[in-house]
Amino acid sequence: MEKKGNRLLAIFCTMFKIGLFTFGGGWSIIAQMQNEFVDKRKWMTEDQIIDYMSLAKSFPGIMIINMSVFSGYAMAGAAGAAVAAVGLSLPALLAIAVVTYFYGALRDNVYVAKVLSGVRSVVIPIILSACVRMWPTALKGKSAVVLLTVSFLVCTFTNFSKLLVIVIALAIGLLVWRGRINDDLS
Amino acid sequence: MIYLRLFLSFMKIGFCSFGGMTMIPVINDEVLRYGWMTASEVMDIVAVAEMTPGSLGINCATFVGLRTAGIPGAAVASLGVMMPSLTLSLAAAHFILRLKGNKLLESAMRGVRPASLGMLAAAGVTLSVSTFLADGALNPAAWSLGTVFGAVSWNLVLIAVISGVLLMKFKLSIPKTILIAAALGLLLG
Repeated sequence: MEKKGNRLLAIFCTMFKIGLFTFGGGWSIIAQMQNEFVDKRKWMTEDQIIDYMSLAKSFPGIMIINMSVFSGYAMAGAAGAAVAAVGLSLPALLAIAVVTYFYGALRDNVYVAKVLSGVRSVVIPIILSACVRMWPTALKGKSAVVLLTVSFLVCTFTNFSKLLVIVIALAIGLLVWRGRINDDLS
Repeated sequence: MIYLRLFLSFMKIGFCSFGGMTMIPVINDEVLRYGWMTASEVMDIVAVAEMTPGSLGINCATFVGLRTAGIPGAAVASLGVMMPSLTLSLAAAHFILRLKGNKLLESAMRGVRPASLGMLAAAGVTLSVSTFLADGALNPAAWSLGTVFGAVSWNLVLIAVISGVLLMKFKLSIPKTILIAAALGLLLG
């Protein structure tokens, strides 16, 4: 059993690294956490990533900070949650200080715009890779396929509150499975 | 006292919003009220947030804090905007772990998981439209296959495809893929 301090340090460093590469509204954090905490370190499971993602999006505040708190707590308690949140936001703090200082020069720079267009484009395959990985964990039974389709259509074409989407799905989950999770018939 | 005011304002912004662009109206209300920023500076910070990693909320808190009260200001404003995560989410994380294995919770999550996968896929589609299509290309009045085809930034689609292949087929790590995409952007963007 490793020392708790080592784990906290590892969480901090990993979250710092993830924070450095979180562009495009934060969703790319999901794929990065799958790689770091599920694949490499095995401190979290695929289920946990999806569950925390839904909660993080439904709770007030910033999704990626919520996500870091849920995951940090699961991996190392309250201290884990704190170091995860600080580690994730530190790169943003440093970057913003630098960018704010040079903002005038950066805003109209054509090369900066080109680099950013590349970064914006890569966020989409990153989100796609997270979706592909979650597929087998999330889709168990026919009801799940219906829920996925409806939620996808509602979130793509309307501005319906994400919180309500999650709350309604939660109620449907309770009604459909009612605690009988061993039979995959639904 | 400026630190307390920054902390409370950004705590309010945190509790009243659900991240991303939904924060802008709340941020606007608070920073304009105290004269911390002008409306056009708020739009600038959205642009800065695009350039830097991390979320709009943290970026905005840092920017305003730094401008009004230096580095300690940036720290208290960021802490303020993180308060919902450090209270509500922390409490929820505690309960969710204690209830692990509970069958009713597991049933509920069975419903939530596909719905949130749908939400993630929808975020991908929305982001694709805003990244690859010129503004107004989906305007129903002028809709035709030709105008939509012409409005697509094919160079960016190419970057997405190349980086997607590197990421999923060749299992390149996400940071490396982002750096390659940035270089491709410099060449093709």
